[in-house]
Amino acid sequence: MAVNKGIRQFFFPSLTPAFLIRAGCIAFVAYLVFGHLLAPFRIKGHSMEPTYQNGEFNFCWRFRYLFSKPKRGDVVVIRFTGQRITLLKRVVALEKEEVEFRNGRLLINGKELDEPYIHYPYNWSLSARQVEPNSVYVVGDNRSGPMQNHFFGQASLPRILGGPLW
Amino acid sequence: MVNPVRNISKPLNPTGIGLKYNPASAAGPGSAPEGLLPRREGLWPGGSSGIISNGVKVKYVLIALILIAIGTGVSLTLFQSEEKRVKKQFHLLSEGVSREPGENIFTMDQKIKKMGSLFDETCELKIPAYSLSGLLTRDEITGYATRGRLHFTQLHLKFYDFNIAFTQEGGAGVHLTARLTGKTTTGENVEEAHELDCLLKRIEKRWLFDRIEVVEVLKK
Repeated sequence: MAVNKGIRQFFFPSLTPAFLIRAGCIAFVAYLVFGHLLAPFRIKGHSMEPTYQNGEFNFCWRFRYLFSKPKRGDVVVIRFTGQRITLLKRVVALEKEEVEFRNGRLLINGKELDEPYIHYPYNWSLSARQVEPNSVYVVGDNRSGPMQNHFFGQASLPRILGGPLW
Repeated sequence: MVNPVRNISKPLNPTGIGLKYNPASAAGPGSAPEGLLPRREGLWPGGSSGIISNGVKVKYVLIALILIAIGTGVSLTLFQSEEKRVKKQFHLLSEGVSREPGENIFTMDQKIKKMGSLFDETCELKIPAYSLSGLLTRDEITGYATRGRLHFTQLHLKFYDFNIAFTQEGGAGVHLTARLTGKTTTGENVEEAHELDCLLKRIEKRWLFDRIEVVEVLKK
């Protein structure tokens, strides 16, 4: 009987002031954590394969770049539009660096970048361009499709929300 | 000399409910202590229930509040705020662009005409993804829209995340998200979202699109 009562109490707790305060505290902490610190997101698309698969679930660690700037090779979450639509891309070049794609090779300041995370061959070609100040150059890991269908380029630093938790 | 005694509680307190009014307690703490001041019964005109201190009945106050609420509701409905008027233009644009399967020519013509009326005589369009940039006339815009719609069997345009700021020049700068979903004539599903920067101008009491720019988040 005592067990039944305990179960009943767990699923249907009495709305006492103490319970309401506890529930309110939990809701507030959840709002802070999942709204501002670890924003949950689901990956939709194949542009970061094989590192991140379509449909995967992850969290955006918002304080990742609070005291530092993104480094080359970092995967970052970029605010695309509004507060809900974001992009997951890899930083390949930093501000004032020169980026160029030449027959499926990525050149930074004229030197080929070693990219162990690229598993699918690609044949992109894009003339050299300099990354603007306060920006980074981001590209997806899966460059097997045509360049026109891929979202990549310079993203301003204020648009970078953080990095994926794993 | 004998002062005439008048029973004042009756005419002013028709319900006959006796009222114990204590000015000391009414004045709040710090005033004369209870007991020092004489208790007067029935001297306060608002002594009966349903009457407020100045003699106004509660029901009149309630009626006034209801009338104010109704008036506010009616005025908000009839006289929309400028922000709502601006949002309405986006809603109309969304209706004009959207297309349902099996849409007939008459409906399409109506929608295009309606959409054209939302734009200023000339409107600056900047869509870097489609290499479209420049000052276009109303007819050119509707022409583009007509041709664009023909590529789809189903098309929906929705606007979210409105951020409206009114400029000193009498314009309305709107920053928002546009989400386009649909199906092309070849059966391909389309789902796009873009950040837009728009400027609307108030011309003859109507907000008309003067500039639409798709924000380029990643510059190649």
